[in-house]
Amino acid sequence: MKQVVVHPERCVGCMQCMVACAVAHSRSGQLYTALAERPRPRPRVHVGAGLYNEGFPNRCRHCDPAPCLLACLAGAIFRDAHTGTVLIDPDKCINCASCAMACPYGVIRFHEDPVAPPGKTVAVKCDNCDQRVAQGLAPACTEACKSGALTYEEMDEAMRRKTAEVARSVSTGAETAAVPPALALLMAVKKAELSL
Amino acid sequence: MQHVILGNGIAGVSAAEAIRRMDPRAGITMISDEQTVPYSRPMISMLLDGSAAPEQLPIRAERFYEDLGVTALLGKRVDAIDLQARRVALAGRAPVPFDRLLIATGADARRVEAQNDGLQNIFTMRRREDVQAMLAALGGTRRALVLGGGLVGFKAAYGLMKRGCRVTMLITSAYPLSMQVDETAGKMILDELLHHGLEVRVGVSVTAFEGRTSVSGAQLSDGGKVACDMVVIGKGVTPALDFVPLDRIDVDLGIRVDKHLETGAEGVYAAGDVAQCTDIARGRPWINAIWPEAAAQGRTAGMNMAGRAVAYRGSLGRNVMRVFDLDVMTLGLVDPPDDGTCTALTWQDPRRRMYRKLVLRENVPVGAVLINAVEQGGVLLSLIRNRAPLAIPPERLLEPSFNVRQLMGWG
Amino acid sequence: MATFENISITEDARLLLEKTRRDGVETVWQRHDAQQPQCGYCETGLSCRICIMGPCRIDPFGEGPQRGVCGADADIIVARNLCRMIAAGAASHSDHGRDLVEVLAAVAAGKAPGYRIRDEQKLKSVAAEYGVETDGKDTLAIAAEVADAMMEDYGMRRKSLTLLSRAPEKRRQLWEKIGVTPRGIDRETSEMMHRTHMGVDNGWQSLLLQGLRNALSDGWGGSMIATEVSDILFGVPSPKATTVNVGVLREDQVNIVVHGHNPVVSEMILKACESPDLLALAREKGAAGINLAGVCCTGNELLMRHGIPMAGNHLMTELVLSTGAVEMMLVDYQCIMPSLGTIAGCYHTRMISTSDKARFPGMEHREFHPDNAEKMAAELVREAVENFTRRKQVYIPVQPVNAVGGFSVEAIVGALGGTPEPLLDAIKAGKIRGAVGIVGCNNPKIKHDYGHVTLSRRLIENDILVVDTGCVSVATAKAGLKVPEAIEMAGPGLKEVCGALGIPPVLHLGSCVDNVRILVLASALADALGVDISDLPLAGAAPEWYSEKAATIGTYFVASGVYTVLGPMPPVTGSANVVGLLTEGLNDVVGATFAVEPDPEKAAMLIRRHIEGKRKALGLSSVEV
Repeated sequence: MKQVVVHPERCVGCMQCMVACAVAHSRSGQLYTALAERPRPRPRVHVGAGLYNEGFPNRCRHCDPAPCLLACLAGAIFRDAHTGTVLIDPDKCINCASCAMACPYGVIRFHEDPVAPPGKTVAVKCDNCDQRVAQGLAPACTEACKSGALTYEEMDEAMRRKTAEVARSVSTGAETAAVPPALALLMAVKKAELSL
Repeated sequence: MQHVILGNGIAGVSAAEAIRRMDPRAGITMISDEQTVPYSRPMISMLLDGSAAPEQLPIRAERFYEDLGVTALLGKRVDAIDLQARRVALAGRAPVPFDRLLIATGADARRVEAQNDGLQNIFTMRRREDVQAMLAALGGTRRALVLGGGLVGFKAAYGLMKRGCRVTMLITSAYPLSMQVDETAGKMILDELLHHGLEVRVGVSVTAFEGRTSVSGAQLSDGGKVACDMVVIGKGVTPALDFVPLDRIDVDLGIRVDKHLETGAEGVYAAGDVAQCTDIARGRPWINAIWPEAAAQGRTAGMNMAGRAVAYRGSLGRNVMRVFDLDVMTLGLVDPPDDGTCTALTWQDPRRRMYRKLVLRENVPVGAVLINAVEQGGVLLSLIRNRAPLAIPPERLLEPSFNVRQLMGWG
Repeated sequence: MATFENISITEDARLLLEKTRRDGVETVWQRHDAQQPQCGYCETGLSCRICIMGPCRIDPFGEGPQRGVCGADADIIVARNLCRMIAAGAASHSDHGRDLVEVLAAVAAGKAPGYRIRDEQKLKSVAAEYGVETDGKDTLAIAAEVADAMMEDYGMRRKSLTLLSRAPEKRRQLWEKIGVTPRGIDRETSEMMHRTHMGVDNGWQSLLLQGLRNALSDGWGGSMIATEVSDILFGVPSPKATTVNVGVLREDQVNIVVHGHNPVVSEMILKACESPDLLALAREKGAAGINLAGVCCTGNELLMRHGIPMAGNHLMTELVLSTGAVEMMLVDYQCIMPSLGTIAGCYHTRMISTSDKARFPGMEHREFHPDNAEKMAAELVREAVENFTRRKQVYIPVQPVNAVGGFSVEAIVGALGGTPEPLLDAIKAGKIRGAVGIVGCNNPKIKHDYGHVTLSRRLIENDILVVDTGCVSVATAKAGLKVPEAIEMAGPGLKEVCGALGIPPVLHLGSCVDNVRILVLASALADALGVDISDLPLAGAAPEWYSEKAATIGTYFVASGVYTVLGPMPPVTGSANVVGLLTEGLNDVVGATFAVEPDPEKAAMLIRRHIEGKRKALGLSSVEV
């Protein structure tokens, strides 16, 4: 089964995944109209900064067993038996933040949401774009990502590709570096700036 | 194999489910003095403050016991355990034999020593029926008196304020939740509660209650009086273990257990608020009477009872609560002893009303407090749990921009 | 956010940062934190918003899109973006220059009360360069003709800008040969914008060449006119003692701070601050006097000509307000953070915007024009004095540091005894290895002032004379490098030379438009030796640059033959070709390149190596670095 695979070394921090995610979870599904919606749709993938301000798309891993699911006081978090996606039922959620205390990745947010009862603050996180996937679409974040940091593919395939990349980069006379030289230069400068 | 589980709280329920998963044919009997399907005990305070409805409380289906193939003996309190005969004695019923026994009876609310404490509308807040009774009495309640500023006292006061009552809280420390948070966070919480109308009296206790049938006031140790038509006692809990044979089963703060949650008596296990485990942050025996640890202990005990040796890594105190416009999360050891073994770092942003504190023991995080922006709390919790030294400057963990990527280092 | 020690090397910044935290005031550093991670497409120059077939971006990893909708590849997109930065920087400085030319014209027409020709000598020498006959004409008539001739430089009638005549012959020939001789100041900016429009110039090399020409139109055009006209109107700077850092604010006086770039406003404010009426009013309000201080470059303009103290540089502008000691801050344009109005709102400070082309939230707009400036300045200073009584708690946590400023080229040559020969002799003898112009801004990406001060120290230690401008000059002054006694920190040769002349080893040349003084000085040295600028043991550096103007300055330095080391990386790494041209290829084109090195220790090594290499090529003594 295809899934969203994160390749952190490729994240350029543009946050386009966040925009695409928020739009995908809006009522209208269109950027320009989504901006006018209330509650304003919000992203479920969060681009954070690493130690030298490199981008990092942080999204729910849909862990198994899922600490958030085990910690949920109201039984609002459950796993979809078919897709394996860990989901939050906004009608059952009591906004107690026990899941935030349990999530080792810090990917759960609390706010009003287009799919929650109006005016109610609930826990919100990545739903793997299950609805888009059911329509034959890829998850919105992977569609938006143009640098290959978020891909939608078979895990085996991703692992194979990664192994090959690593093998290429450590073998002598490698034709392609894992990170293009000019980008590596930028990274080096940013690191140097921060280490002053 | 006959398994008997005393208690149908989350520890007992988790144990029963773990046993059933391991052994479809095992006999399981659950004995509890509460007469309901298992419910989410932490949610009773949300029932009080109105953020949860009664029908949201059950954590398992109506037919939970039947579906799991459990014999449920409800409304029964255990009188004694006969370790020789390997059976438990119940009032008004034949003894129940066991091969493996789990004591998951939880804890009972402490009462106070004061005159007339039998008056109506004086409550403890431990069980769903306690809150249901409080809600029933709410119509005639304008002023409530809450004894104690611990978790229960705080949640009772908060819930009653949300319901529109005038609440007076008597506390011994200078701020509420002194066992859960440090002084800075405690004062922020106190300010928030005061801002919303809570009255707080520090360092006084109740000597007597007044009233005919129902409470109408309380006399205080400083000679003063407080008028009130409801009293909630939040003076902590004591493990429910009066039936435990102390000569055979070692009891300290609670029932002592080994890493498999087995007591000194073979085949007898304990889990939940009644059991004393090692506190990960403190590194010594402790009872962290919180729901997620009870669930984990129940699950672990159940697997051990069913024959799979699984170790329990110790418990960790933690809480998250929303106090009007403050979100408060506390993890592990937040008020370390002043003996030089721990260092504490803090960070504050008054504009956003954020406060963060990290407690370290030799560069290993052992505790944290977060006020507002609590989303990354789970990352800190997993760090504390893993007991691994930090590879990055600890100040990073306090910054609003902290995220899990930074733990991967200078990648 | 990092700890305050990691944010700035200066004590006043650290203490005031603590205060902003206590006061709940948000600063540039918090906003920079909140922006992390910054968009990698934009950082690499690979995003294009030029047309609305896009916006487009190129995947730097090579798998995603490699061409914009129009078909532009990474090289074209990066070059277009960089060129638009240069155009914006050139436009800014040159527009500043234009405003001065307008004042000059208004003075000539008698329509600018309060302004006058302060330096007739300078007017006449500039007039001569513009071919304006001066004999027998009165000053105002000359001023009118000079202003007119300068306006022509902005237009399209010339084949080349007038002041290019100041460049060495060899340099002018080289520019002619490669086709980058700037023709009109506005023309080059206009053409740059035209060429970067979709479907015009899609040769990344030819785009970058026009970028050079556009930058030269600023350095030898707009900026140079700005400096020259400022000197004519307000005087050629000469060495002046002054003080720097937040400690220059006075607890017992009315503090007025000018911020921005153009002396047109600040000079009038200064005049008003000296008015006996207003000083009397200040005493009436309980203040001991009126204290005018500067931040940013308009402060540098006043410092250079009047020794007015400087409260801080770019990253200090918010912190200066947080002292609670500023009665009024007046701003004109450039580098004024739109956050200032909000921060001032936390204190009693009144914020006044003065330029018809620059408005800011939370500021009161009181427009200055040549005809009303004198009156407006008096009005505003009066209001500032009246605001003194509204002052609440004041926190001025440091004592000011002494400094000397005011080193125009005329002043330097004067200090040398009327000719650059002594300096050349010192360079030839190896006592002074070379000279470096350190310029530019602050940038929250670099520890505040660390780049400027560390680089300056390393260079003077190694007998390299440092001249600086803009925000750098405040940083080195705060660090105590701008007093004659600072020669103790210099190497033996530089110490001897500066000691004999009684000058500091780090010379304050002025504001950021005054970088042209460095070009003029370099030309004078080259002419004296009969070589090109690119042959000289010189370098430029912008250790903490942030602005488009700085990008343009760096570019006109390089295009004029000065090797220039940047601290922060410009947004070009998306194209290996552009990076290659800027850091290597330009050597074959203009005899100088860019380098990028955020660590000032390493930047100092790069510069020393470059200078020793140039010495060797000139047949002078050189050492291995």
